[in-house]
Amino acid sequence: MKQNILLQLHPMTKFYFTLFLFAIVLILPGYLFSFALFPVLLLIALFAGVLKEFLNIVLKALLSVLVIIFIMQMLFYPGENVLWGWGIFEIKQEGLLYGLLLTSRILAIGSAFILFFRITEVRDFVKSLEDIGLPPMGAYVVLSTLQIIPEMRRQANTIMEAQKTRGVETEGSVLVRAKAFIPTLTPLILSSIAGTEERAITLESRAFSAPVKKTSLHQLTKSNIDRALPIIFALIVIGLLVWRFFF
Amino acid sequence: MTAMIDLKNVSYRYPVSDDSVLKNISFSIEKGKFTAIIGNNGSGKTTLCNTIRGFVPHFYKGDLDGEVIIDNTKITDYQLGQLGEKVGYVFQNPFIQVSGVKDNVFEEVAYGLENLGVPVEEIKVRVEEVLKLVKIEYLRDKNPFELSGGQRQRVALASIIVMDPEILVIDEPTSQLDPIGTQQIFEIIRLMKERGKTIVLVEHKMDLIAEYADDLLVMHKGELVMQGPVRDVLADPAFEKYQIQYPHVTEIALQLQKSGIPLSFLPIRDEELAEALNRTGVAVHD
Ligand SMILES: Nc1ncnc2c1ncn2[C@@H]1O[C@H](COP(=O)(O)OP(=O)(O)OP(=O)(O)O)[C@@H](O)[C@H]1O
Ligand SMILES: [Mg+2]
Repeated sequence: MKQNILLQLHPMTKFYFTLFLFAIVLILPGYLFSFALFPVLLLIALFAGVLKEFLNIVLKALLSVLVIIFIMQMLFYPGENVLWGWGIFEIKQEGLLYGLLLTSRILAIGSAFILFFRITEVRDFVKSLEDIGLPPMGAYVVLSTLQIIPEMRRQANTIMEAQKTRGVETEGSVLVRAKAFIPTLTPLILSSIAGTEERAITLESRAFSAPVKKTSLHQLTKSNIDRALPIIFALIVIGLLVWRFFF
Repeated sequence: MTAMIDLKNVSYRYPVSDDSVLKNISFSIEKGKFTAIIGNNGSGKTTLCNTIRGFVPHFYKGDLDGEVIIDNTKITDYQLGQLGEKVGYVFQNPFIQVSGVKDNVFEEVAYGLENLGVPVEEIKVRVEEVLKLVKIEYLRDKNPFELSGGQRQRVALASIIVMDPEILVIDEPTSQLDPIGTQQIFEIIRLMKERGKTIVLVEHKMDLIAEYADDLLVMHKGELVMQGPVRDVLADPAFEKYQIQYPHVTEIALQLQKSGIPLSFLPIRDEELAEALNRTGVAVHD
């Protein structure tokens, strides 16, 4: 999996690429280009070998939002050219266009970010941020949160089990499960708070605040492509801006 | 010999508690000595360790009286970060000693060295060595969150000794370990002593303490009630009243003595029993 050229790019390059897409989607007028971007992202995902997960998340996270926004815009955006009416509902041309524009942009930008996190390990991304000056404490908070979430889920399950043995109903409808879940929150939150103090001493015992510059086993390398691409992105964006505002 | 750890009239009270947890404690530990702290639950052993490591008063506030001197410098004159390299501290609870940012044991053990700014090549060599020493090479790719209690205890110990501190404070490192594992940990501690480390160990396993440790500190309800070489402390009749277990062989010898068999000296290690019984002589202990 690591052989893939795309995956091997420096996390910052991937991040700049995402920002680059973000910028051009906003600069270019109309919805056609933004919609055209999505198949491009699909191709990239395919090439990076993450097509299935990528599509899955886009469908789950974006589709319903897009549909709702589109319908709302179509129905409620102010305009004169009514295309189709039914009782109090009227679809106007302006609304249709604006709906398309908005959804195309959300689709392009949203899926660009989703793709970014599919082809970048968060660990690598945080490391690259650290390399450009994110303080170690910030990096620690992000990384430990990522590790602790599954740990907390495990803990929540343990507490649920414990409640089940005490006869609390934990299975059944959403309401039943919610009722069972709420009492687990207190011990969960309390133990997390107690955990932070211990966490701080643990870190200290591992010389976290030693007054020296830290080293890292985890090194990221920049290839020539990683150096060239951001410049190309920047040039294109500047070019587009000039074209958009001066011609 | 110079004192590595020196406490003078130290008293300490946690912020929320009414009573002092440490009461007027004074002792001094020489460089290179292996000192065991014993005492019943709640007697203040862990708090004493926290004091030596500087978590009291740097981290746990509350009232600290008296002087704690580590390597000729007052603990209050150190910054918290400076002590990390000097005093390694393995906690009693192995379940909290995971950095939480590393996803395998190798990196977990390396974490302290990264923080100390050790060059990467050297880190790799040192971590390899310690994994072998603590016998956890087979865990190197495992997630630190998915280890058993005993495995975590080994990883915790490895994570500290890899940093090569001059002083090792180790709080009940074998509570989750089987007898063989416990023996191995003591062997590692012995090795650390051979390398010239000053060691403070909290333990309840008296047989092993008698075999390995030089000196004993006995804590009782926040007071340091006895101190001295292991043999002297155990031979002192006063030891009995603190309700702490003797080494098994000592227990047996004392029973024999009670039933009228004289001992030439009080044995504290298994192999000494025969010798203590062979020679008839003056009765020790009463
Ligand atoms: N963080 C704390 N805040 C307040 N009181 C504490 C705290 N930690 C320990 N104590 C109290 O200090 C006393 C000594 O505790 P300590 O943990 O030092 O005992 P210990 O000898 O290590 O016991 P054990 O053998 O169970 O590990 C206890 O009475 C305990 O309730
Ligand atoms: Mg304790």
